[in-house]
Amino acid sequence: MESLIATVICLLIAVYGAIRAVAERETLARLPFINVMNFGIAGAIVLILPHPLTLVAAAAYFIGSTLEANAIASAYAKRGGT
Amino acid sequence: MLEEYGRILIAAALTWILFVSVDIFWRLPQKGGVSGAKAIGDMIARRGGNRNGGWMMGNIVSSPDASAGTLLAACGVFVAGIPGGIAAALLVFIGNRICHDPGFAGTTGALIATAVITLSTQFGFIPSDFIVGTVIAILTIQGLSLTKASHLLGRLWRWRA
Repeated sequence: MESLIATVICLLIAVYGAIRAVAERETLARLPFINVMNFGIAGAIVLILPHPLTLVAAAAYFIGSTLEANAIASAYAKRGGT
Repeated sequence: MLEEYGRILIAAALTWILFVSVDIFWRLPQKGGVSGAKAIGDMIARRGGNRNGGWMMGNIVSSPDASAGTLLAACGVFVAGIPGGIAAALLVFIGNRICHDPGFAGTTGALIATAVITLSTQFGFIPSDFIVGTVIAILTIQGLSLTKASHLLGRLWRWRA
């Protein structure tokens, strides 16, 4: 771990995003907060374990979670509910 | 210690300007893109936000855009220098195609961010400042107030359109 302060800030923002997502009642409005959490976690993965392969792991996590958010949002859009 | 906080704040401001301008250049606020992004924009508009700003936020959620490109480029430069940044751009390009996004906002953002981060290391910054800077920048857009952020993005979009 090279930079402790950076890692701690990333993790705090990730926890904040998770709390906001849980507190939010409407599913579609949760997704932007989940997005904040994903950014924080992807950053923390690389900061905690600096290795070239970690970049692939972080990208796989981030793109996978984006795809999931995409799927959830379009499922709700088709259903027409909140 | 205090110096690191200052560097992180400057990096956050730089990445904010970088990915918002790249996203607006690639016309992300113009339409909803995929149906999920449109639904998120309409939800934000229903809550009293700006529709174009909301669509841009929906597009950020639904596909890796310039902000994701900036984050992964910062990670890439952090672990492997310039080749890492280019590898990140490639990964974002593949991610865009997986998410059915025909645009190039993510790839462009990653390449520009690689250049900006490499340049800024000449001025005493370290790449990890930009990782946490991007996380703070996305927090101000997606994480504080959905309606206020959408009004700000909508105002910037009117300037471009």
